[in-house]
Order: sequence, then C-alpha cells, then structure tokens
Amino acid sequence: MTILFMFLGLVALVLLNVPIAVALGVVAVVAMIATAGPDILPNVALVMFDGSTKFPLLAIPLFILAGAIMNSSGISRRLIAFASALLGFIKGGLSMVTIGASLFFAEISGSAVADVAALGSILIPAMKRRGYPNAFAAAVTSSSATLAVIIPPSIPMILYAVMADSSVVQLFVAGVIPGVLGGFLMMCVAYWFAWRYNFPVEESFHLPRVWATFKDAAWAFLLPVIILGGIFGGVVTATEGAALAVFAALFIGGVIYRELDWPHLREAMMDGGVQTAVVMLLVASSALVGVFLTEQQVPQQLAATIGGLTDNKYVVLALLNVLFLVLGLFLHSAAAIILVVPIVIPLVNAVGIDPVHFGLIVTLNLGIGQQTPPVASVLITACSVAKANIWEVSKYNVYFIAVLLAVLLLVTYVPIVPMALVYFFYG
Amino acid sequence: MPVLARLEYWFERLLELIVMLLTSGLAVIVLLAVIYRKAGASFVWYDEVASIMLAWLTYYGAALAALKRAHIGFPGVVEAMPRKWRLAAVIAGEAIIIGFFALLAWVGWEVLLVLEGSYLISLPTVSNQFTQSVIPIGAVLFILAQLLSLPRTLEEARRGLHHEIPPEILDT
Repeated sequence: MTILFMFLGLVALVLLNVPIAVALGVVAVVAMIATAGPDILPNVALVMFDGSTKFPLLAIPLFILAGAIMNSSGISRRLIAFASALLGFIKGGLSMVTIGASLFFAEISGSAVADVAALGSILIPAMKRRGYPNAFAAAVTSSSATLAVIIPPSIPMILYAVMADSSVVQLFVAGVIPGVLGGFLMMCVAYWFAWRYNFPVEESFHLPRVWATFKDAAWAFLLPVIILGGIFGGVVTATEGAALAVFAALFIGGVIYRELDWPHLREAMMDGGVQTAVVMLLVASSALVGVFLTEQQVPQQLAATIGGLTDNKYVVLALLNVLFLVLGLFLHSAAAIILVVPIVIPLVNAVGIDPVHFGLIVTLNLGIGQQTPPVASVLITACSVAKANIWEVSKYNVYFIAVLLAVLLLVTYVPIVPMALVYFFYG
Repeated sequence: MPVLARLEYWFERLLELIVMLLTSGLAVIVLLAVIYRKAGASFVWYDEVASIMLAWLTYYGAALAALKRAHIGFPGVVEAMPRKWRLAAVIAGEAIIIGFFALLAWVGWEVLLVLEGSYLISLPTVSNQFTQSVIPIGAVLFILAQLLSLPRTLEEARRGLHHEIPPEILDT
C-alpha cells in the first residue's frame, strides 16, 4: 500500500511541475517516516550525500565539459567541411553531411542535445538556403543527433552502467555496430527523400579536397582516438578518458586551432557544471527511493511476479521495450534510467538477459524518446534552431524514428549485433 | 538595477565561480591522477577526494540550476491550467520544494553535529564535518535560489509562458 501511495504521490508532484529530483526525495522521505518514524530522518542527509559520491559518474561532467569545449573550438565546422567533401557528391548531399557529421561528432560528445545544437546551428540554415524543407532539415538533424547516445562515449550509458552495476566500457563497445548501422540506414532514408523531393548535389567528389579537409580536421579526429582508444585499450578508465578528452580539447581548441577564448570556456564549464548537477541531484534523491524500495524488496517482488507469468526472456524484453518506449515519451533519459533501471535489473538478471545487452536496449529506447513529444529534448532543440513547427518536423521525423525502431528490434532480438564486438574484445 | 535583481546577479556570479572551480578542479585532479598512476606513484586520496568534489559540484551546481530553473520537470500540465489554477499550482510546487530543502538543511546540520571528531580515511587532516557541510549549505543555497527566481516564475505563470516548447515552435 505504501508503494502505491508513493507512486501516486510521485505522479502528483511531477504533474505539479516539482522537479523530478525533488519529487523523488519528498515521496521517499514521507514513505520512510511512515514506515520507520521520524528517527530515520538523519539517514536522509547521509544517503543524499553518499548518493552523489558515485565515483564512476565523475565521467559525466568531464564528457559534458569536453563536448562543450569542442563546440566552442571550431571543431564542428571542420567536421562538417570534411563530411561535405566526402559525402556532398551524393544527391541530397547536405542531409548526408548532417548524418555523417553526427556520426563523427557522436564519437567525441556524449550528449545528443550538444550534438544537435553544435551541428544544427550550421547545417539547418545551410539546408534551408539550398531549398530543403525547413521541417525536413530539423528532422534529419534531430534524429541523427540521437546517434550520440548510442555511439560511445555516451552519458546515458555511463548512468546505466552505474545504476545496473555493469561495465561501462563493454557498453561503449556494444554501441559501435548499432550506431554505425543506424547512421547508414538514416542515410538511406535521406537518399530516398532526396530522390522524392529532388534535393541538390553539393559538390563533385575531389580526392584532393577530401584530403585537404581531412588534414584540417585531423586534430579533431585525434580526439576519438584518444578517448575511445584509451578506454577500449584498457590504458585508462572511462573517467580518466573523459579527463584526457577535456585537456585534449583544450589543447586542440586553444593551441592548435586558436579558436577557444575565455568567454566560450567559461560558458563550457558552466554548462558542464549545471548539466552534471541536474543529473547528479536526480541520482542522489533516487538513492533515497532506492534504499526504501530495497528494504521493501520491491525489485525482487517485481522480478518474482513477472517471472511467475513468463520466463521467456524475449517476452520480458518485449514488455521492457514497451515500458521504456512509453517512459521515453514523458521522461528525460537520465530520469528514466535512474528511476527504472534499479527496479527492473533483478528481473533482467533472473531471466538471463546480459546486462550489457539490456543497457544498449535501454539507451536506444530512450534515444527514441528524445524524438517523441511531449518530452523530446533533442527534437525541441532542433525545432528551436530551425524555428520549425514540432508537428511539421515530426511528419518527416517518423521515417527516421522508424529506422531507430528497426535498429532497436534488431538489437533486442539479434543480440549478436551489439554483442559481437564485446565478445571479440572481452571473450 | 532593482535590489532583488542585483542580489540575484551576484548570487548567480558566486555560484558560477564555485561551479567553475569545482569543474576545472575535478578535471585537473583526474588528469594528475592518471599521470601519477602511470608514473607508478598513485594518489591514495584520489578516489575519496574526487567523489567528494563530485558531491560538492552536485549541490552547488543544483543551486545554480535552480536559479536558472534548469532542473528536469514536467511543466506541461501546470502550463495548460487556467491562470488562477496555474498560479496556485506554482505556489504549491514552490512550497513543496522549499519545504524539502528546509528539512534537508535541518537534518544535514544534525548530521554535522554527530560527525564531530571524524575524519577522511585517506586524508586524516580533513574532517567529515567539512566535506558533508555541503548538504546543509547546498540546501540553504537551493532555497535562496528558489526564492530569488520566484518573482520571475510567478510572472511567467501569470502570463502563461511555456518552458518546454517555445511558443514559435508550437504556433508557426
């Protein structure tokens, strides 16, 4: 009964626009007092402190900071120039460039919102000038930015790994094939649109131009080598890789490209700090809920109940996919991961699903959630940059969302697709 | 500039300075830790100090995010309410938020009293009272941030401004 009241209280507070982090704290405190009395209150301060000291989450501010520094360093412009030289000769070249640049950018940024803000501000106006429908420009930029959360490094993956006590490095590796596949399929959809609406070719293919733009962007390409090479090679942890990325981005932006100045750096640090705090306050207050739910053995009861209905892991995966897709409509990805993953992970383990495999499924589901209103952070950012109507954009975006859903189904029911590289590297 | 706006301006600058120092400090500490570990001289205090700095960044940054009204919420239902109900809902929400952090400040202070005489394991000269002071201080700063940005929030609620989706995106 307490759990039911807790859930209803949480829904009421969220509908009242109380921040989710605070709503979680309030319902947990009320439930704790109701079951254990007011003497439990000092635990609230201790749990809220401990909940915010999870060492692996240190990677989050550092990856956000690295991404923000890169945004301010002219790196996006160079990546776009290279992608344009490489893909601009294809019909609908600018939409290909958008997806290609998103694929590159995803390797150095863990956030889809950062991706869409960095690339969209350059590519959406360029597409409009070349006669692309405004809503299409926003849709292709928005959907391809979601690749940032599938391709490593990825902030939702770091959060999942901590909540599920799983390997963040293996999750990063598992994201590579689905991310590249998603990018390729999105290019196919963009090509279909290009034929249908007769989008222009940007430039003919010239190897010397590809080489020149590659050389100009070479330092930017070093970043994923440093970040992913170091992490995958076992030289550094994910957190240490993130710190290296910060200093590499500072060096490249400040010393090599000389485009990073103090106002941009200040803004980057501020963005990194605030975004981290928003996520970490959620983590801290969810620790309060976690303590209570664990004492009441709710995750175990849920696992037993669903396990009693079916022990078929594919049916369980279908149910969890539906759950996360619905949650993605209404919750930001960080909130959904922090709220739900600790509750469902005993069930996932009980039916024999690999937590790394499940982590990628969760990330993909919530990536789709970033594209589906009403709560669609990435889509809204793209619409804001394009000054486009969200529903008009969604008419084009459904085709790209269909690609993400196809990748989700493939990842869910053909586990070897995400796990092949994990098995190859880690046995 | 009116007194309240000036107060908000300087409060924001102070929080920004703290957040910048913590963010850059974390990056420097993690990088130095990697270099020293590779050189075979790992810092014994690295994990504990970095984790505590993350907690500090959480609560000082949370106050800054509160001032900017950047915490994750779901404003759709409140924004769709008629004006009178909307204002009542905003006031109720603010009261709940301030009440929660007032409780956190109080229990955080109680915990500090209990922690007297205890120190970090890796740095025995640093007291746990100092590290955990972030809970009551952070809670008070959060309340101040809510109060300083409250007039702006009430004005937006009165005028019916949308936060999640800018009007031009809905209406164009």
